Amino acid sequence: MSAAREKVLQLLPPLLLIVLIGLVGTTVSAGTKTEFTGVLVNIAIVIALYVFIGNSGVISFGQIAFVAIGAFAAGVMTIPSEVKPTLMPELFPFIANHSISSFESLILASLLGAFIAFVAGIALMRLNGLAAGIATFAVLEIVHNVLRFWEKIGPGAKSLALIPETTGLWEAVLGALFCAVIAFLYQHSRSGRLLRAAREDAPAARAIGVNIHLHRLFAFTLSGALAGLAGGLLVHQIGSITTEQVFLQLTFITLAMLVVGGMGSLWGAVVGGALVSFLNVYLLKLEAGASVGPIHIDLPNGSTLLIIGVVMASIVILRPQGITGSRELSPRRWLGRRRRGASTSPPPPVADAPKAG
Amino acid sequence: MKSAMTRTAVALAVLVGALGLAACGGGSSSTTGSNTGSETSETSGGGGETASNKGPIKIGAAIDETNLMKFFDGPALAAAEIEAEKINKEGGVDGRKIEFTVENTQLEPAKTKSVAENEVNGGAEIMWVTCDVDWATPSIQVGLKAGLLTVSPCIGTDQMGPKRFGSEGELAFSYGNVAQDEGAALAALFKKHGWKTVDIVPDQSIAFTQNVCESFKNRFEENGGKVVVEEKFTEGDGTIGSVANHVNSSPADAILICATTQNDLPTFVSGVRSAGNQTPIVGPWSIDGSFWLPKSPKISNNIWVTTYASIYGDDPNPEVRELISEMDKKGAEPATGGFVTGASAIDGIKAAVEENEGSTEGKALAESMVNFKDLPTISGEISFSPELHTVFGREYRVIEIKDGKPHYVEMVKAGTPAEL
Repeated sequence: MSAAREKVLQLLPPLLLIVLIGLVGTTVSAGTKTEFTGVLVNIAIVIALYVFIGNSGVISFGQIAFVAIGAFAAGVMTIPSEVKPTLMPELFPFIANHSISSFESLILASLLGAFIAFVAGIALMRLNGLAAGIATFAVLEIVHNVLRFWEKIGPGAKSLALIPETTGLWEAVLGALFCAVIAFLYQHSRSGRLLRAAREDAPAARAIGVNIHLHRLFAFTLSGALAGLAGGLLVHQIGSITTEQVFLQLTFITLAMLVVGGMGSLWGAVVGGALVSFLNVYLLKLEAGASVGPIHIDLPNGSTLLIIGVVMASIVILRPQGITGSRELSPRRWLGRRRRGASTSPPPPVADAPKAG
Repeated sequence: MKSAMTRTAVALAVLVGALGLAACGGGSSSTTGSNTGSETSETSGGGGETASNKGPIKIGAAIDETNLMKFFDGPALAAAEIEAEKINKEGGVDGRKIEFTVENTQLEPAKTKSVAENEVNGGAEIMWVTCDVDWATPSIQVGLKAGLLTVSPCIGTDQMGPKRFGSEGELAFSYGNVAQDEGAALAALFKKHGWKTVDIVPDQSIAFTQNVCESFKNRFEENGGKVVVEEKFTEGDGTIGSVANHVNSSPADAILICATTQNDLPTFVSGVRSAGNQTPIVGPWSIDGSFWLPKSPKISNNIWVTTYASIYGDDPNPEVRELISEMDKKGAEPATGGFVTGASAIDGIKAAVEENEGSTEGKALAESMVNFKDLPTISGEISFSPELHTVFGREYRVIEIKDGKPHYVEMVKAGTPAEL
C-alpha cells in the first residue's frame, strides 16, 4: 500500500467517528439530539484548535475569540433586517440593513475569523511558550470586551435572539467532517509538515531555512477560519448567543478536549472532543440529579468542571500525549496487527507522529 | 505496538461507553401537582390544547435549580406550586388541574434548549422559564416556536415580548414588574417623602438596573426633581469605592442605587455610612432581602426598598403572609419578595385559561393576557399592553431598613410607566 493511501486511510477513523455520532444521534429523543448536535459542534471547534495548537505546538488561549467572532457575525447577519432595529437599535446601518442566508453566514464567519486571526497573528506568531499563551489570551479578552460593549456591531451584553436554527444534527456532522478534512489536508501539506518539523525542533527547522513565523501565521489563520465556521454552526444550533457563552468556560473545556484526546493528531482532537463533550453532558445530568441503574446520583453544583479538570490534569501527568498517544489511527496497521497477533516484526514508521511520549 | 493497540481499543471502548451513556442517560425531572382529571390528556406537543380537553394543564418549567438564578427561580416556582395546589383543591381551572414538570437548565445554553425541547415533547402546554431573559432565551425560543404561551415569573425588563422576540414574542409574558414601572414608582416614593435632589448610582452589568435608574431619572425630572450626580459602575469592576466617595462629596436629599445584591452593594453602603453620610439610600426590588446587609446596625440604616411583598412577617396582605408560611413549611423560605410573582403568574394563567373556556392554545391565551387591565392577583392588580408584556400598574411594598432591621412601611404606585 502506498504512503498516500496509508495517509488517506488515517483520515477514515475521525470521519467515521463523526458519522457514527450523527447516526446514534438520530435514534435519541429531540432533547438528547440537541446535545449530540452540540457534541459535533464542539468537535468542529476542537479541530480548529488542533490545526494551530497541534501542528505548531504553541498553546493558544485565544482561538475561542474567533469562535465568538464567527458566532456573532453569523448571528447578527442572519436575523431579518426588519427586526434588527428593535433588537439592536445602535447597529451600523450597513449591518442593520442587510441580512444573509445561514449558508452565506458560515462563509462570512470563516472569512472574518481568518481575517482577525491573520491580523492578530502577524505580531503574535513570533512569540513562543508562556508569552504566546498570554498574548493569545489577551486577544480573547479584547474580542470579548469589544463584543460585550460595542453595540454598533451587535447586541452588546444582551443575548442575541431570533437567529435561524439551521444547524441540525446532519448539518453539524457535515460541518465537523469539513473541518476534519481541511485539518487533515493541512497537516499533510508542505506548510503543515514544515510547521510540525519546527514544533519538534525549532532551531533545526530554522537551520534548514524553514520560515517558522510564516507557517505559524498560516496555521493560525486557517485555525481562525475553522473556528469562525464552528462559531457559525454553534449560533445556528442554539438560536441565540451571549458573549459569556464564547469566553472562558468554552476556552477551558475545548482545550481540555484537545489535551485529553491528544493534541498532536487529528484523531486525538476528534476523540477528545467527543469524549469530553459526552462526559460534560453526562456530568451535567448528574449535577441535576439522575439515576444510573438503581443508584440515584446528585453531584454538587460545579462538579462537572472540577471533574473535567481532574481528568485533564491526570492525562497530562499520566499520559502527556493524550489517550490516543497523539497518533493517527491507521486502520491498516491496526487490523493487520490484529490478524498477525503479537508479531515480532518492527512497526512501520508513522508519518507525522510526534517523537515525544 | 501492543500498547498502541491497547490504547486505541481503550479509547474506542470509552467512546462507545460515553456515547451509550449520553444516549440513554436521562436527566431528572420532577412532576408536581395533582392529576385527577377523569379524561386522559392528548398531548399535542405544541400550541397548547383545545377547550374540549379536561386533562391536566401541563406547565413545563425549564428553570435553574443549582446555579445563580436558583435564588429567584426556586421561590417563585415554590409559590406557583402552592397556588396551583390551592386552585386544584378548589376544582382546578375550568375543571382542569394544574401540573408542573420541572427540569433543571443549570444555565447552560445548550442544555436550556434541550430541556425546553424535552418539556415540549413531554406535552407541556405552557412553558415556564428562568427569571432572566438572557439566560432564558434558548428555552423561550423553544416555547415560542412550539406556539406555547411562555411565562417567566420575574423578568423585570421589557424584553420578554415582541421587543426581543419579534412577532413570536407575542406569546411571551413576565409577571415581574417592568423597569419603567418600578422607576416611576421610585420617583413617586421620592415625591411622597419630599426628596427633591438625588445622587443616582446605576450598575451597568444588567439591563434591569440600568433601565430602572434611567426610568426613575426621567420621571423624577418630570416631577421637578434634580439629579446632583450620576455615578455609573459595573459590578465587580473595582470602582465602587470611588463611586461612594464621589457620592459622599455630592450631597443630595437621597441616593438611588440600582444594583444587585452582590459584593459592590454592601461595599457601597458601608462606604457611604462610614463617612458619616446618613442620607437615605433607596433601591429597587433587586436589592431586596436582608442577607446582604452589613452587620453593623449603624451602617444598615435608613435604607429604602420597593418590592413585591414583605417577607418580614408584616406584609399587609394576609394571603401573602399565609403563602410565606406555607413556603416555610415546604422548606422554601423566600429570601426576597420576588417569590410572589410565581403565584401571581398562576393566577394570570388561570384567568386566561378560564377566559378561553379551558383551552391552553398559546395564541388565545396570549390575546387574553395582553388585555389584562388591573387583573386582581395575590400580588396585587396587574396589567399588560401590546408593548409591555411585563407587568405594570401593580402596587409596591416599601420596606425600610432601620438599625439593621427591615420592616414594611407603606405602599407606593407608579401611576403610569416612565419613558425609557
